[in-house]
Amino acid sequence: MASASVSALNSNSLENSSSKNVSRESLRMEPLTNIPYLPGEEKVTDKEIIYMCPFNGAVKGKVTITNYRLYFKSFEVDPSIILDVPLGVLSRIEKMGGASSRGENSYGLEITCKDMRSLRFALKQEGHSRRDIFDSLFKFAFPQSHNMPFFAFLSQEKFLENGWNVYSPINEYKRQGLPNEKWRITFVNEKYELCDTYPTILVVPFKASDEDLRRVAVFRSRGRIPILSWIHPENQAVIMRCSQPLVGMSGKRNKDDEKYLDVIREANGQTAKLIIYDARPNVNAVANKATGGGYEGEDAYQNAELIFLDIHNIHVMRESLKKLKDIVYPNVEESHWLSSLESTHWLEHIKLVLSGAIQVADKVSSGNSVVVHCSDGWDRTAQLTSLSMLMLDSYFRTIYGFEVLVQKEWISFGHKFSSRIGHGDKNHTDADRSPIFLQFIDCVWQMTKQFPTAFEFNEHFLITIVDHLYSCRFGTFLFNCESVRDSQEVKLKTPSLWSLINSNIEKYTNPFYTKDSSRVLYPVASMRHLDLWVNYYIRWNPRIRQQPQNLVEQRYMELLALRDQYLKKLEELQLSDSPRISNNSANSPVSPNQIVHQIQTQF
Amino acid sequence: MFSVKPPKPTFRCYLPPQQTGIKKPPLTTPKKLEAKLLPGEIVVNEVNFVRKCIASDTSQQDLWGKLVCTNFKISFITDDVMHHVKFQYKSFLLGEHDIPLTCIEQIVTVNDAKRKQKVLISNQKLKFNPTELIIYCKDFRIVRFRFDEAGPESAKKVCLAIAHYSQPADLQLLFGFEYVARVYYNSGNKVNCVDPGGGGLEKKSLCEQTPLFDKPSDWDREIKRTGASEWRVCSINEGYKISPNLSEYFVVPVSLADQDLRQFSQFFTGFRIPLWCWNHSNGSALVRMASIKDVMQQRKLDQRVCAAITRSHPNRSDVYKSDLDKSLPSIQDIQTAFTKLRQASVIDPFEESEERWLSSIENSRWLEYVRCCLKHAAELVYMLEGKRVSVILQEEEDRDLSCLISSLIQVMLDPHFRSIAGFQSLLQKEWVMAGYRFLDRCNHLKKSDKEESPLFLLFLDCVWQLLVQYPAAFEFTETFLTVLGDSLWLSIFSTFLFNCPQQQDEHCREFVKSRSISCGDEKPLRFPPVWDWSQQFSEKDQALFNNPLYVGKSASCVQNGAVKSFKRTKKNYSCTLRGTSSLKNGLLSEPEFMPRRNSLVLRLKADFSHVRDAPDSPSEQFFCEWFSKPADLQGLLLPQLLPSHIKLWKLYFLRWVPEVQINMGGPVTAFHKMSVLADEIEMLQQRLRQYKGVGSLSAGTPEAHQSRMFFRASNLSDSSPMPEYLTSSFPFSPVGNLCKRSILGTPLSKFLGGTKIWISTETLASEAMA
Repeated sequence: MASASVSALNSNSLENSSSKNVSRESLRMEPLTNIPYLPGEEKVTDKEIIYMCPFNGAVKGKVTITNYRLYFKSFEVDPSIILDVPLGVLSRIEKMGGASSRGENSYGLEITCKDMRSLRFALKQEGHSRRDIFDSLFKFAFPQSHNMPFFAFLSQEKFLENGWNVYSPINEYKRQGLPNEKWRITFVNEKYELCDTYPTILVVPFKASDEDLRRVAVFRSRGRIPILSWIHPENQAVIMRCSQPLVGMSGKRNKDDEKYLDVIREANGQTAKLIIYDARPNVNAVANKATGGGYEGEDAYQNAELIFLDIHNIHVMRESLKKLKDIVYPNVEESHWLSSLESTHWLEHIKLVLSGAIQVADKVSSGNSVVVHCSDGWDRTAQLTSLSMLMLDSYFRTIYGFEVLVQKEWISFGHKFSSRIGHGDKNHTDADRSPIFLQFIDCVWQMTKQFPTAFEFNEHFLITIVDHLYSCRFGTFLFNCESVRDSQEVKLKTPSLWSLINSNIEKYTNPFYTKDSSRVLYPVASMRHLDLWVNYYIRWNPRIRQQPQNLVEQRYMELLALRDQYLKKLEELQLSDSPRISNNSANSPVSPNQIVHQIQTQF
Repeated sequence: MFSVKPPKPTFRCYLPPQQTGIKKPPLTTPKKLEAKLLPGEIVVNEVNFVRKCIASDTSQQDLWGKLVCTNFKISFITDDVMHHVKFQYKSFLLGEHDIPLTCIEQIVTVNDAKRKQKVLISNQKLKFNPTELIIYCKDFRIVRFRFDEAGPESAKKVCLAIAHYSQPADLQLLFGFEYVARVYYNSGNKVNCVDPGGGGLEKKSLCEQTPLFDKPSDWDREIKRTGASEWRVCSINEGYKISPNLSEYFVVPVSLADQDLRQFSQFFTGFRIPLWCWNHSNGSALVRMASIKDVMQQRKLDQRVCAAITRSHPNRSDVYKSDLDKSLPSIQDIQTAFTKLRQASVIDPFEESEERWLSSIENSRWLEYVRCCLKHAAELVYMLEGKRVSVILQEEEDRDLSCLISSLIQVMLDPHFRSIAGFQSLLQKEWVMAGYRFLDRCNHLKKSDKEESPLFLLFLDCVWQLLVQYPAAFEFTETFLTVLGDSLWLSIFSTFLFNCPQQQDEHCREFVKSRSISCGDEKPLRFPPVWDWSQQFSEKDQALFNNPLYVGKSASCVQNGAVKSFKRTKKNYSCTLRGTSSLKNGLLSEPEFMPRRNSLVLRLKADFSHVRDAPDSPSEQFFCEWFSKPADLQGLLLPQLLPSHIKLWKLYFLRWVPEVQINMGGPVTAFHKMSVLADEIEMLQQRLRQYKGVGSLSAGTPEAHQSRMFFRASNLSDSSPMPEYLTSSFPFSPVGNLCKRSILGTPLSKFLGGTKIWISTETLASEAMA
């Protein structure tokens, strides 16, 4: 956040933990601007420019482009208007107007961001004044399109904690009580030969041999066989995830796949019928047959029951978010806010994802094993498994646990972050882009709203994650799957987002958190309760101040501090009291009289 | 939707309904079930073997008992235990199944076999024996009784009795009169009640801290508190000699003599002399005024009033006049919005209305009106605070919207009114004493639907929005606001029973005379105000009113009669906001520039020519500047007015909807944590006090720790576990309180849509009741 003297309206909320470690070199280069350079960050160019602020009108100032960010500071307005945008956030950069365009400020740049903003700059119409700035932006915002590395690989940031140590698959499975007599850990994918988008360590039924797994992989889209995500510590019911079966138009069957699913069912004694949750709408699942996919037929899978969850595909979600942006930025739709919000269908999609996850959690907690898949098993499937795990397992509601959950269900199981976000890629119309992970975080936020004491992390934590989903400052969300990350040596060459968070954990901690290990959380997935996450989607609007939740948190922290102060005082008094030396109290910094006075003013 | 198995907190909508048979009534005759009656309350009619429906999808949990109609309430008495009730706020005046007659919105009787249904009105025939009775309540509950096993004739009689008694022909037939007469003027009947005048409690109760503004001294104190030195108390309306709907005492500019006022009064609607509401510490005053009837006198009188107000301003600044009739929705609009909101909240079938939920809320326009009122009040706050001019609220009768707007302005500007006692005194000052027609607007006598309007609830909703935006700035909680709203429907308190103080006085006098009650000392009959919360709730339950986060009045806040105001230093920050520039018409204005974009290309062209640096209205600048800085909770508070920041008040509107209940969740779970911490701090405070007192009086001080908090810390620095009974509806329970059913294919919505849309299948021949 920007400091008090500076308008926070348009500044980016990405904090700079190492802003003090500004390299001397960059300080010498720019003694006047106080750009919070990160170690490894270098200035590329700067220019006087006009920022066409949708709230304040045209603002003159200076823009600086580094290999990490776009930084704009106004000249004369007090408090200054500051833009601090990591280049990773940029989705599209366009030139506007030509040298001969008429009208004031009609010549400039238009930047579309992935975080709901659009920025416009105007320049003087002489001497190709924007060429340099445009070229630098284009190059450093889209390094992948220019054979350049991500900033995460250039970063020299050092943190107290190493976030790459947060997730160890073996440890996480051990925490879940795995392996056991029914489930085993397999290294069949050690060289990514079974499935190139799965991690190396997988948990499968004890009864299934590696040879069985290979035969099942043939029948599952991209070899993404059913593997264990989570096991219930008491009833041993499991959540399995996979991709669609390759049934095709002819209705192909695969004995190995059928047998494999039955082995999964048997592994838990109570499961009469294995429930298969197909995240897609029924029609989409049918349509997938045309491209060789499909769903588990009734005849082939006698001991299974198939349920469609009606969640739409990545394209529908992308369009929905686009519509949402239209009604919140730059101005909030005034006259028909709720119906406009409804027509984006964003909350309706959230509702479907959440209620799907609730059904999964409900089945599993009643002792029935389930299989979850969509088409490829890396978008909707990841949403459903991770959300139901969040409902079932309170560990995932802690800060470390949530990091493990993201690392496991999303990153390691091959949610295609690179394709969905389009990291460093200039092709902004890429049909592979979709806000699936943002939608997941939104669902988590909805849950934290309904259960304000059940999560160890606060809203700031969620916003920070989404901000760095785009920023490319950390390696955490880069690339599509583990095999690529291995070859790029991401863990060795980039910092982890969890390093930033875990080094300053108080900032992300929800003060109301109450540990309650045994509880299953069932949110109410009703439109009556689903709210738009205004603190994320509408945060750029200057008519919004510090949010109530933060105010409540802030006030609660004050009271906590007050309590501790009194406790300490009381202890001191008790100590001084025991020898009953009456004069002692005069030595203490605050006399009891003063304390009582203070308390009274508090209430 | 409550299933037979213990309610698993799962998403109910997706679970198939439980198929179960109808539970049989107990074979043995039930033990004698007797209604608990208040003093003065009598049983009018009753019927046995009645089934109260609990769940919509099964009769398994229905309760068997006796349905009783008294002159105060509908009571259902049962020995059956109601399951799944997590927590129910208990009132001294009502049992958990009781409905006060004044809380009844509509009575519907049904006969399944004959496929008939009828909305019951007083003095009407009912040609069939009802098998079912559905009571729609003003507080949004829907309660359903079945008469399958009950005597058909007695069931019919009870229904007719309810219809009759819920529509009293005369104000004095409202139960409150009987009750108050018995409780306070008959000896030996003082159970559960506190004297209306004086309290038996040692420490000053909230009620005693709340000035009622029925005495000149209350006004004097308010003048001193706000530093309104150029204003005086006027008593020319003593005995209601001037205006029947003004209070006996009010405040006027010092420069206007009684004689002038007497002369002026005849030209104002309702003889209402302009009333002083409040003074800003900068000297600007808030005044409310009825319209001037006589067109000839209009200009002259207007000038004289304005001149007097100007003279009472230290800077002799101008007066800004706001015509509320022109800037805000009418009371009928508000009533229509409320009806639609009720439809969406509790009447429409839950699952079917999910998809269109947001637009149905929008279509009701309720939130739009909430926003409109907040916005208008904020605009006037700018006048008082930013421009330092006095403001006159003008309304035709000065008895509706001016109550709402003037109180909202004061809540925003004066932290005193954000304390419980202060807030109560505000309602007393701007609503009760200013003659807000509670009797007509609540339609207690069900005489005229045209007069009914939920203006008071709209005000509570506006305050709730501020409370949500500034959670530590108010001493009270949303439970307080909800309970206050519910108290409208109890015909026992002076606060919400009358159209104006004069009406109360007159009816009390008449009643005493007609009953030849000897009051002794010529004391008239006096109703307790609702602020005497001990009438309704235990000390412990009243603790739910207290906000643990409240940043209380620091000593520097209200001091020497001056309210600390929020001053701004920097003026050079300009800010342009679209769509908000035309504020006179509230939020109905369309954005003037920056058109909705359909395509990116179009936007690029359009926006560049449209971005401009001309500043918006000065009030917008004022707001933006205020928002750019941290808020002082003891100073001015302005609402965030983006439509995305105006929320539906779920506790009030959705508390009875079982599908919406979040088990072990909702804001109350955080409230629990905060309360426990606040309680811990209080406990520490007390221990420290004991240390302070060491050697003096401490030895005799009792250890008992009087807590402000409902949830108590079990031990110091030991986290108390969250109670299992917490739900998002806390402290209310939806069980048995929202039982709707589609009967005979007719959607129930038909019954409540507009009051007279549904036409009875029966003749409307009237029949006098015995």
